[in-house]
Amino acid sequence: MLFLQLLLQGIQTGALYALTAAGFALIFGATRIFHFAHGTSFTLAGYAFLFCWNAGIPWWAGALAGIVAATLFGLAMERFVYRPIQRHEGSFFTVFVAAFGVAVVVQNLIGMFAGRGFAAVDTSLSRATEVLPDVFLAPIFWIAIAVAVVLFAALSAFLTRTHAGVALRALAQNPDLLRAYGLSSNRLSMLAFALGSAMAAPAAVLTAMTTGLNEAIGHHVMLISIAATIVGGVGSLRGAALAGLMLGVAESVALQFVDTQWAEAVSFLVLFAFIIFRPSGIFGVAQTR
Amino acid sequence: MIAYAANLATLVAIFCILAATLNFIIGFAGIFSVAHAVFFGLGAYAGAQVALLLVPDALLACIVAAIVAGGLSLCLALPALRVRGEYFVAASLGLQMMATTLFAEAKAFTGGIGGLVAIPRPTLFGIEVGVLPLALVALALILFLTARLQHGAFGRSLQSIRDAESAAEALGKNVAAAKTLAVAFACAGAGIGGALFALHLSFVNVESFTMDQSVLIMAMVIIGGTGTLWGPVIGAIILLALPSGLAFLPFIPATEVGAVQQIIYGLAMTLLMVFRPAGLVGDLSKGRATA
Amino acid sequence: MTGPQIARRALLGTALAAPFVRPSFAQGGDPYVIGTLFPMSGPNGEYGKLFTDGAALAIEHARADGTLRRPMRIQAEDTQALPQQGVIGMTKLVNVDKAHYVLVGFTAVSKAVAPVGDRAKTVMVNGGAVGPDLSGLSPYFWNVIPLAHLETQAFLPFLIRRNLKRIALVYVDDPLGDAILGLLRTELPKAGGELAGTFSIPRTAQQFGPIAARVRQTRPDAVYVASFGAQQAQIIKGLRDNGITQPLVGYSALSIDSVRTLPEAEGVIFTSQKFDYTGGSEITRRFATDFKARHGGEPGAYNANYYNAVRLFALLAREIERENGTVNGDSLRATLLRVREFDLVGGKGRFDDLGNISSEIQVNEIRGGRVVPIA
Repeated sequence: MLFLQLLLQGIQTGALYALTAAGFALIFGATRIFHFAHGTSFTLAGYAFLFCWNAGIPWWAGALAGIVAATLFGLAMERFVYRPIQRHEGSFFTVFVAAFGVAVVVQNLIGMFAGRGFAAVDTSLSRATEVLPDVFLAPIFWIAIAVAVVLFAALSAFLTRTHAGVALRALAQNPDLLRAYGLSSNRLSMLAFALGSAMAAPAAVLTAMTTGLNEAIGHHVMLISIAATIVGGVGSLRGAALAGLMLGVAESVALQFVDTQWAEAVSFLVLFAFIIFRPSGIFGVAQTR
Repeated sequence: MIAYAANLATLVAIFCILAATLNFIIGFAGIFSVAHAVFFGLGAYAGAQVALLLVPDALLACIVAAIVAGGLSLCLALPALRVRGEYFVAASLGLQMMATTLFAEAKAFTGGIGGLVAIPRPTLFGIEVGVLPLALVALALILFLTARLQHGAFGRSLQSIRDAESAAEALGKNVAAAKTLAVAFACAGAGIGGALFALHLSFVNVESFTMDQSVLIMAMVIIGGTGTLWGPVIGAIILLALPSGLAFLPFIPATEVGAVQQIIYGLAMTLLMVFRPAGLVGDLSKGRATA
Repeated sequence: MTGPQIARRALLGTALAAPFVRPSFAQGGDPYVIGTLFPMSGPNGEYGKLFTDGAALAIEHARADGTLRRPMRIQAEDTQALPQQGVIGMTKLVNVDKAHYVLVGFTAVSKAVAPVGDRAKTVMVNGGAVGPDLSGLSPYFWNVIPLAHLETQAFLPFLIRRNLKRIALVYVDDPLGDAILGLLRTELPKAGGELAGTFSIPRTAQQFGPIAARVRQTRPDAVYVASFGAQQAQIIKGLRDNGITQPLVGYSALSIDSVRTLPEAEGVIFTSQKFDYTGGSEITRRFATDFKARHGGEPGAYNANYYNAVRLFALLAREIERENGTVNGDSLRATLLRVREFDLVGGKGRFDDLGNISSEIQVNEIRGGRVVPIA
């Protein structure tokens, strides 16, 4: 029964990881920008929701505020940080450092204005009850899964049925098209940032209800997103989502076999193993040396 | 005041060593490691153990630290040989996270989260010495070697690998050997920095070797200018002096001092990258290709 | 160091000779510098404010009472709870600010700065961390908080009385967690209990659902949480959300706002030093009243400890001033070992040869967002 419990819990965590990782993968695939401040979108969305909740604003308006906050932040990053750097043909690492700087600034601003340390939304949705002998599930388990499924369905519909979506996918699969697209790649890149950042918001809202937030939570989210993107295979949204789910499950199910202190290291062991033995990821095109 | 300045100068020198060695692999070999603090930590633990168990001889501690860190740098070289670019950053992130857990758990070697305490003051051939001169000598040596390597045949091989790996391979350069050597040299240097750090603080624990530390070292290199000899040194001085300098400003409320420091540090990183991506020292035209 | 101070003292003497100016003006001359090495930013920033609030109130009270001839001032250095920052801050305090007395918190920072203070013979006082490895770090390193083994030891009979015999321990694997683990392992069976399971967690862990599942399996009567800072609130929420209905217990680190105000923390039981804010000594009552007036809430154990740390300095320095001595590490230590017992918030505090306080322990419960002493 422990295994089932751990598996279910892993799926709940993994669904949230999958959403965030897919957002990161979407941005990275379409723009080749290593959006290290993706975790910051997540943090901002979570705190926006928390703020609205504490102010007594209805949950759906709060969630909307979270999505808006994440999207605006993503767009601002694209417009004011990444685009100027790319104009200089700045390398991947320049982008990485610039984004990291922004993440540090926002983290400390949140600490100054929203308070440091743990903050959570108080709701009974996260309270688990016994559904099977010794298996506890919270209503939020079903919500997380439903949200993930609906969003992925909507996203894949968008990517396959609309012009903009198809263009984004083309970019992801063949980065060289970036240049061929010329000017319009700017608009596509903004679209990718808006969509990708918005994907982080629902996960942030749900996290505010379950494990709670702190101003530094973006770090962890970011690491997981990067790991999932690589493990899934760069350029593959499906891969990133699946890998996110897998990392969440691995982190949880690992407790069946190892002591509790090793749970976190498991995700990174998976990542490391993939890089050494299968660098192209689950679905990726071979991209080694 | 002198003791305060000497303490700060020692830390600056140690971080200059770290930044200079990281610069060596980033700037000259194009390997973007976010795991430099791992080798810093390995060196620190190795040096501390030598001082605690054998003799607090600084030279011996540094040599052992360099061997341990340089030897284990294969953990880093291995993925570096397999993948590049963003993949490698992710690999080094993974390595950093695993190492942090290991440092916290391998109590026999690291003392766990509690760390290693009461590391004796360093001696050199039986005479007690300060860490500052040692660190300065080590730094000078590393900078000298970097400059020599930069202009020698090995340095040119590395740079050709960085600029066009496939071409270098086609020209018959042994890419794998060159990369492995570069990584081993840089990590051994970081290990020496670690040993000096342990001897200087007489206390080490895992909190000094986390990802934040790795990123700080990386920021020093980037802000100073990758691929330049003096850039990392300038970067290390600026980033270490910044918080200490801010601590003297009276108008920042005590409870917000740390946050303000962090904000300035973050802003500096971002603005530099946007407006001066080659770093403070870097030559802009060259920087574009390098950084 | 000695020269200028004697000169200052001479000047002070003449100033004090002017009879009965307003008492608050009786304090003149260069202030005593009370250095603080607290995390003011980062994930543990919450503690820095708690610690500072307590210390600041003690300075105010000493000024109002005219305890000392010279005023005191706080010189704050942010450590972010990191050892390296701690050493930088400590060398600044010792060498630049010439601090007379340094307040520290957090185990790793304490251990890192102890050699610096030891060499400079500057007294360092911890009122926050409770790792037993903090005992005897240096003759100049004192603890005004009873270290964890004392707290846990005193807790065991209470647990057994409550029929909480099977205890599961969720702990961070640092010296503190280790000490509690060791104690529960050896002392709990002696007291008639049993350690049902132990679960080590990384300090950065965020997900406690899977851990809760493992804890549930051991069928404990109560779960002992040995972590600190914001993570505690996260652990409590994680355990409560995932089907742990048994009592949650712990030690004094739980007395912070992010735990107290957490709805899931209702009923959490933890130990701390004994503070009776309504019926206790006059010092205790005055502290509680003024703290409440200033900050609008009940003071916690940390506020009181750092109040005590600064009050201890004022009491020691007053003795030294009376003897016209110089206030420095050696004179402070000699006076501490001579006097031994002090009137502090919470009652008499007695120090042993290593400079560790022992005081009575009480058991608290969080009820309706308030900390209520229950035993």
